[in-house]
Amino acid sequence: MNEASLIGLFVAMVSFGALLYLAALGELIAEKAGILNLGVEGMMAIGAVTAFIAGAELNNPWIALLIAMIAGAILATVHGLFTVGLGAEQVVSGLALTILGLGLAAYLGKDYVGRTPGAELVPVDWGALSDLPWVGPILFTQAPLVYIAILFGVTAAFVLGKTRVGLALRAAGESASSADSAGHSVFKVRLAAVAVGGALAGASGAYLTLTLTPQWAEGLTAGRGWIAVALVIFGAWRPGRVGLGALLFGGTLALKTRLQTFGVDFSPIILSMLPYILTLLILVLISIQARKRPSPSPAGLGLAYRREER
Amino acid sequence: MANTSPPKSYEDFSVELNAIQKSFPGVRANSNGNLKILKGTIHALLGENGAGKSTLMNVLAGVYRPDSGEIKVHGTAQIFRSPADALNAGIGMVHQEFRLIPSFSVAENVILSSSPPVLKAKEINKQVASLADRYGLNVDPAQPLWQLSMGERQKVEILKVLWRNGQVLILDEPTTVLTPAEVNELGQILRRMANDGRSIIFISHKLHEVSGICDEATVLRQGSTVAASLDMKITNQEDLARHMVGSSPMVTQRPHKGNAGEPLLEITNLTALGARGTTALNALNFVACAGEIVGIAGVAGNGQRELADVIAGLRQAESGSVVLNSVNATNLSPQKRFELGLAYIPEDRLGVGLAPRLSLIDNAILRVYQQQRRGPFIAAKRAQTYSENIINQFEVRAGDPSGAIASLSGGNLQRLLVGRELDTKPTVVLASQPTRGLDVKGVKAIQDLLIRQRDAGSAVVMVSEDLDELLTISDRLLVMEGGHVRGEFDPRTASREEVGLSMVSNSDLTPRS
Amino acid sequence: MKKPRLILREQPLAGGQPAAFGVGLLIALIVGILLLYGAGHEPFKVYSRMFDASLGDADAWAKTLNRAVPLGLAGLAVAIAGSMGLWNIGAEGQIMAGAIAAAWVARIGENLPGPILISGMLLAGVVGGGVLALGPALAKAKLGVNEIITTLMLNEVAIRLVQWLIHGPWKDPDSFNFPLAPMLPDQGRLPFLFSRAHLGLILAILSIVIAAVAVRYTAWGYELRIAGSSESTARYSGISLSKKILTVLLLSGAIAGFAGSIELAGTADRLTETLSNGYGFAGIIVAALALMRPSGVAAVALLFGAVQIGGQSIQTMGVSSSVSTILQAFILFGAIGAGVLSRYSIRLDNNSTTQQESES
Repeated sequence: MNEASLIGLFVAMVSFGALLYLAALGELIAEKAGILNLGVEGMMAIGAVTAFIAGAELNNPWIALLIAMIAGAILATVHGLFTVGLGAEQVVSGLALTILGLGLAAYLGKDYVGRTPGAELVPVDWGALSDLPWVGPILFTQAPLVYIAILFGVTAAFVLGKTRVGLALRAAGESASSADSAGHSVFKVRLAAVAVGGALAGASGAYLTLTLTPQWAEGLTAGRGWIAVALVIFGAWRPGRVGLGALLFGGTLALKTRLQTFGVDFSPIILSMLPYILTLLILVLISIQARKRPSPSPAGLGLAYRREER
Repeated sequence: MANTSPPKSYEDFSVELNAIQKSFPGVRANSNGNLKILKGTIHALLGENGAGKSTLMNVLAGVYRPDSGEIKVHGTAQIFRSPADALNAGIGMVHQEFRLIPSFSVAENVILSSSPPVLKAKEINKQVASLADRYGLNVDPAQPLWQLSMGERQKVEILKVLWRNGQVLILDEPTTVLTPAEVNELGQILRRMANDGRSIIFISHKLHEVSGICDEATVLRQGSTVAASLDMKITNQEDLARHMVGSSPMVTQRPHKGNAGEPLLEITNLTALGARGTTALNALNFVACAGEIVGIAGVAGNGQRELADVIAGLRQAESGSVVLNSVNATNLSPQKRFELGLAYIPEDRLGVGLAPRLSLIDNAILRVYQQQRRGPFIAAKRAQTYSENIINQFEVRAGDPSGAIASLSGGNLQRLLVGRELDTKPTVVLASQPTRGLDVKGVKAIQDLLIRQRDAGSAVVMVSEDLDELLTISDRLLVMEGGHVRGEFDPRTASREEVGLSMVSNSDLTPRS
Repeated sequence: MKKPRLILREQPLAGGQPAAFGVGLLIALIVGILLLYGAGHEPFKVYSRMFDASLGDADAWAKTLNRAVPLGLAGLAVAIAGSMGLWNIGAEGQIMAGAIAAAWVARIGENLPGPILISGMLLAGVVGGGVLALGPALAKAKLGVNEIITTLMLNEVAIRLVQWLIHGPWKDPDSFNFPLAPMLPDQGRLPFLFSRAHLGLILAILSIVIAAVAVRYTAWGYELRIAGSSESTARYSGISLSKKILTVLLLSGAIAGFAGSIELAGTADRLTETLSNGYGFAGIIVAALALMRPSGVAAVALLFGAVQIGGQSIQTMGVSSSVSTILQAFILFGAIGAGVLSRYSIRLDNNSTTQQESES
């Protein structure tokens, strides 16, 4: 183990962390408004494939990113219309979305498997900053989406905590009837939140095909959508903590391929179980603590709201 | 004779309700609701259960639309399409069930309905704090709501209305969740608001509190205003009670034979908490004997619900005992109490007593399914015969016994529930609001069943919000108020007035016999 | 202002759910036509190929039925939990857990005679699935921890456990670059009934029938349905909710584990990373479409099996198998929509009250 490989680990940690953070942030926003969206994996896949296709056809990575985000948002809106508009079971609709998203992505990307990417978001050149010891390589050699992820995170924290929109969104997630009595449209708020969540999941997928891999293949998302769902819980529905969790979970992803170089004789596969087990433990902890103080989980999460049933 | 002040002009009234009519399917809640609220006064709105107070206020607050009649705010006629409209016109209501978000701070709850696009916490906290200070509502804007007591949460609800500059504040039974000290405090807060030119409407049945706090009172009975704008300085509690309860002639008693036997249900020193953590039952004592119907009267919210739940075993008592057929049942499960002979007809038919998505047969065998087993199976034939027996005996009119019961009418659901409970020949029957919402035929049918059960030697405890019903069929009448038994009456000789007064006062009354 | 509102119908439309299912199927087929057309294929040729391949002859039926077995069992697992209002999202992992346990028995019992070995494997599958569900079951029953997330997390753990075993301690020494678990011993495989349809079909049908009967006709099932209908009614009648939650979630996991062991011994022939193949998640869809009733699971599972097999077969025509995935999703969305509409009607609200008026 030497300094270079340790730095490399941290660079990868931030890099993977951003991937998870984008999707988790989106899910956080949706859940804060009360909507459980188990379709993250599907939206990521759609984002990945549309970004790749758009990149191949248009050769502009930024437009590709935008298209990916729109695609994710559209798919999420389907989920939103079914759950918020029709009151369908959120679990079922979300899973159907995952199946649909994965299938649609495979269908659309069929002709693009194995092709060289038409557009990439290459790491940003910060010039001298990247020569700083430690901080330089870790923070200043990352691809644009990493910085975008951080920006989104800060913005989300601000909007959720310090704006009227955020207040209404959180109210819709905690007590839809209170939000309704206070004059907010629970329908609009939840639908918007879900759509934003989808856009972020799409961005996360785009990160895969525009930077991380950058290739398209079926099954590219490899279960990372589920990590994002876990992350939201792990971070107790707070953008900052989810960010830290993202680094931690990203670290396990980064460590997987580096265990040997560090001379650690530990199965990378077992290591990759860690995020899920940790999340489970945190969840149990939250429930135990919930006897004394309210749980951080939005009180109305997963519950359909119909005015008649108040 | 109503003691009203000299007539005023439009401008003096902040709110007027004229000839409000409001009906719901099967029920005429308000037939002639009139109310005139002077600016800067605290106005009590009084009435028994079902008198139409809450409905009338919900009309004023924009929750319901009246079938006819008019609402005037500061002299101008208004139509409210939603609570938001009413709030915009300056009218806000604090309901009995608070609409607050526990994980939000006090300030966040207050400003939820109206806030600037960007929230600066310090600024907002300061504004909320100064608003609160102005009226003596001492809450910390930054505190998370879940830490607040019920009394403090009520202050937040009031703040919500003040934040929107509400000129008319409606409070629905605000003191049920308050300690005596908090009641005083509330009185002072409301007075400050009134001195500031705002008007308060105070729905209550607690006459002693009302006289202390309010300037004027309007009384509703059976959906209409029977006494308007009485000057509280010169009206006494008895007059108010008389208006509320009416001095209608005695209702006809049902024939009753025989005397009561030995005690089958003994409640001693029972204390229990309510759903909101406040004391609902306060060292309560009573006894029900074989062959009698004990009626429990009282304004809703004085612990009747909790009493029924504790007796049935669905709620834990803090102290005291429930003795059933000489067995101490205080810590026994509902099923065990059933086996000891207690039948329970709960207030919530669909949802506690009956399982809505299951069939009639499934619901009919709820108490006895273990006896209908053949090995692991429930003998379908036996279950069917059993339920048919109940359907016939208790005249439950249902289409297909294997269909979901949710489609049955209220009356038939109740016949099913009562029939199922009574079929097992219980020794003690606890019936909570057994005839609520039923039509005339249904009411008689259920009453007949309970009387029949009494005549067979059971002790029947009947909790009801319908005083007339209790006067008609009970052998002994107890009045519950504030978690105590306030008074015991003989329905054959007690007057409606006395009983009514006992329901609304907070002192133990002995009947003039 | 007119706003569309959903009003609960007094009586759900007759034949609601099967009709909703039919509507979903129809919508999916139409969408499929568009997708196929868009990709330059002839939709009806593709559909007829799908039909032939899945339901055309005995061989086709065998394949379809083999698919329907894990789908049906997973659906049953989810439906049992669902009839009490609990969500078992972990069927995917529990299938794997069952397969792992069965594979372990196959390893140590290599020399046992067939029927004993297979019985052991199947039993192990039941236990394996139950064990994986134990944590979430306890957590929910005792602490009220949301079972959706706990079961979901364990999916990923179980899948990685399989990966670890295949790449590590259970790696077949004869497989070089591509790690594989060894094949099952011959006597550890389920016998065929006809063509390639294996015994699992009988086992699955038996399970569904037993479950349907149990839920409908036993005291245990009765208590389950009461608890599922209304918690307060359950308490009123003395049913211990926490005990019920525990047993139901354990049973649900056990059934999914059973599916895993059957899949291993019937179709897969060796433990692989893709053994659960999305059946766990599809099972949730199947259960939802069957309205959480064991009796409906068989039909839905059969349909999905046909769609999946059909989807595989059209790959040789150059059509992506993802078409069948998309079809499945649309069947579900269409069915959800139709299902909601059979229970609620849409009314354009001209009445300006914003709250439902009820008896005060």
